[in-house]
Amino acid sequence: MLFPTTDFAIFFAIAFTVNWLLNPYSGWWKLSMIGLSYVFYGWVGWSYCLLLLLTTSVTYVGGAWVNATSTERTRRIAMGVSVGALLAILGWFKYYGFVSVNLDNLTHALDMGRAIPLLQVGLPIAISFFTFMAISYVVDIYRRDLEPAKPLDLAVYISFFPHLLAGPIVRGGELLPQIRRRRDPNSIDYSRAFWLILAGLFKKVVISSYVSSAIVTPVFTSPTQHSAPEAIFAAWGYAVQIYCDFSGYTDIAIGLAMLLGFRFPQNFDAPYTARNLQDFWRRWHMTLSRWLRDYLYIPLGGSANGDAQTVRNIMITMVLGGLWHGAAWTFVVWGTLQGVGQSFGHIRRKSRERRGLPAVAEGPVRDWVQRFLTFQYVCLGWVFFNATGMSQAFSVIGRLFSGWGEASPLITPLLVITIVGTIASQFVPPLRVDRLQAAFSRQRTAVQVGLLGFALLGITTFGPVGVAPFIYYRF
Amino acid sequence: MSDVGGTPPHHVDWEPDAEFQSRPHAELPPAEDDRLRARWQHVLMLGVAAFALWFLLYAPTLQHNAQVSPVGTRRTVSLDVTGPVAAVSRFLQLSHIVSITGRGNGLGGPGGGLTVVGPRPGGQAIGSRPKSGSKPHQGGTAPTTPTTAPPNPKDPTAANPLRVLIVGDSIGIDLGDALQPDLAQTGVVSAALDGRVSTGLTRPDYFNWPAELTADIKSQDPQVVVIMIGANDAQDFLGPPDVPYTSPQWNTLYAQRVAQFMQIAQSGGATVVWVGMPPMQNAGLNAQMSDVNAVVQQQAAKTHPPVVYLSTDRSLGTEQGAYTAFVTNGAGQVVNVRTPDGTHLTPGGGQVAAQQVIAELQTLGYHIP
Repeated sequence: MLFPTTDFAIFFAIAFTVNWLLNPYSGWWKLSMIGLSYVFYGWVGWSYCLLLLLTTSVTYVGGAWVNATSTERTRRIAMGVSVGALLAILGWFKYYGFVSVNLDNLTHALDMGRAIPLLQVGLPIAISFFTFMAISYVVDIYRRDLEPAKPLDLAVYISFFPHLLAGPIVRGGELLPQIRRRRDPNSIDYSRAFWLILAGLFKKVVISSYVSSAIVTPVFTSPTQHSAPEAIFAAWGYAVQIYCDFSGYTDIAIGLAMLLGFRFPQNFDAPYTARNLQDFWRRWHMTLSRWLRDYLYIPLGGSANGDAQTVRNIMITMVLGGLWHGAAWTFVVWGTLQGVGQSFGHIRRKSRERRGLPAVAEGPVRDWVQRFLTFQYVCLGWVFFNATGMSQAFSVIGRLFSGWGEASPLITPLLVITIVGTIASQFVPPLRVDRLQAAFSRQRTAVQVGLLGFALLGITTFGPVGVAPFIYYRF
Repeated sequence: MSDVGGTPPHHVDWEPDAEFQSRPHAELPPAEDDRLRARWQHVLMLGVAAFALWFLLYAPTLQHNAQVSPVGTRRTVSLDVTGPVAAVSRFLQLSHIVSITGRGNGLGGPGGGLTVVGPRPGGQAIGSRPKSGSKPHQGGTAPTTPTTAPPNPKDPTAANPLRVLIVGDSIGIDLGDALQPDLAQTGVVSAALDGRVSTGLTRPDYFNWPAELTADIKSQDPQVVVIMIGANDAQDFLGPPDVPYTSPQWNTLYAQRVAQFMQIAQSGGATVVWVGMPPMQNAGLNAQMSDVNAVVQQQAAKTHPPVVYLSTDRSLGTEQGAYTAFVTNGAGQVVNVRTPDGTHLTPGGGQVAAQQVIAELQTLGYHIP
């Protein structure tokens, strides 16, 4: 079920009512949330609910097994087997097709016959997200950071519909305590929740849809037929599109959870204000970056063994992070670019520290130059991220060298205002937004109804008929 | 830079300042802001009232969207629900609020539309031109006004490119997305693509393809028209009286629509190539597409000059014409040609179909490098 649909609005009205009516009855509440979340997930196809059930079962058994074993060695084995089983499920659905076609072409070239069967495996939406949550649960038990959850608690934790499809990637230590206790039905932070939901809808339905259709899709579909300025605006446009799409989804998810009495971690923090790539990854998809840090980078050795191994660990982490998004060489390049950028920053900072300088040079002009350059580097990565293949990505980039002097009819004043305005909005201090929310919460109910109703009307009026699924659903 | 992970410290460059890091049990903090909180019943009332207000204001648009949606229970229920509310909205003249803003068409207008790529007469490449901003015979798509003998379309040059128009539904777009750039990069073909998702010939109330094609023919003056439409056509014709898909009259009526569409495509003297629907994974849909293809093939044979019907049963299916997700291309490489929904084409599948169309045009005598 997609968030920006009438189906979901009706579903959520029911879920909201059930959530608060059953809030005093813990067992019934959990059962109802599991049922609602499975309805939400199975809206398109019920068969994928079995996958969710399978992942939950493997996670529960794995967590219990890790907790039951006594020696460190057996704990490690139990953890490894459990995580391996979860990764095997993910790998089957996400990477089998990619591996089988590439392997088949390799063995064909070597005249060795077919290595493994060619099968088309449908990718269930959300599998990457709930698998990461499941892995973090098992590893946290192994690290003794988390006590094993009861079956119903775990089932709610993994399937809870506000985060199910595309995160945020919430940890057991964050969500399970909230699942176990009763929530306060008399203190809902509704003005912030409604703000997040409407802002998320606006970003997704209006901005992301418009920029996609106005510049990104036409240029990426046939890059050789577009001018260099159009190629540049397409890359900038995609930066805006994916930010509005993904952060819009996250805002809605956090807002919905807030209405149900839950707090989710922040996932975006004005990423295009970043002054370097390290800063960018503190602000972009924050729950993924901390997952990569805690469950991949640090187990690899982190930064404890000198610069060379640190760079190696950064590169491995970011390339695998790229592959997490999908089985394609474009994602490998995207992850590599992130790794190279971060490694460069790491070495540069270390070098400055050795010379007794501040880790990052500062100054008003320097800040803006850093922001500008960081944004361009991020956009270079987005070209690979959005391209259907390497040739398309190089074709878009190639226009920067060969597409000057041609007409650029796709660059309109509205497009420029939308792209610049969206990026500029990230520099608005949060305090201003807080004041707006506070002012809204103090209005009379009739005024609040009018403001919310007309805001919704504006979004649906200026959005296209039929909204495309969120980009991150396919990851 | 922060140190995390205990001993030894790990300098993690991308560590986010996690909100929960210092509160591992995620206890709600006390309210330290100026926002008022509310009881859940109040929030529910607020949300429902705001939704109701939106519904009242937007009901005419919702009713229209329901009217043009596929026939079925969902459409019936939607019309039953939106109808009375839309009537109230119109009676109170609330619908004017939406209509003055453009009736929900989005900032960029309706999705899909016509784009043209390839050389313009004179040899200069052109970029995409959204149809909303174009006029007939505008920019690089305008046919040349001959002062001497007209150039032979079968021997196109950069100065006198072959004008190809590709029209289709979502599967047609899958084809067009590959065919359009393939043709354009030859340097001697100007290729226009007009693709519209979820459309077909049975529901002109939703999208009027005959009118659209007439306009495209007028504005593009194509010498070749490539059509790939039909994936959404196995549904009832809306009346009155309604003609169910399963009724004997359906084939007759659909044949008329197809014949009319072919007639429009040929009206400017263009060669018309109609690409059939590929085999489908779903058995029911596959049977429906066989019906659609059969009607198209029959009508293609009846036209004068005949429309070229290009079957994709084997190029995008097995030797026996059954569904498969993988085919071996001309270079001997295995290509995944179908998306996991078992209906649409992957970019690789679009490429296979595009090469089939180009090969057919070459067979017809068009000298396309």
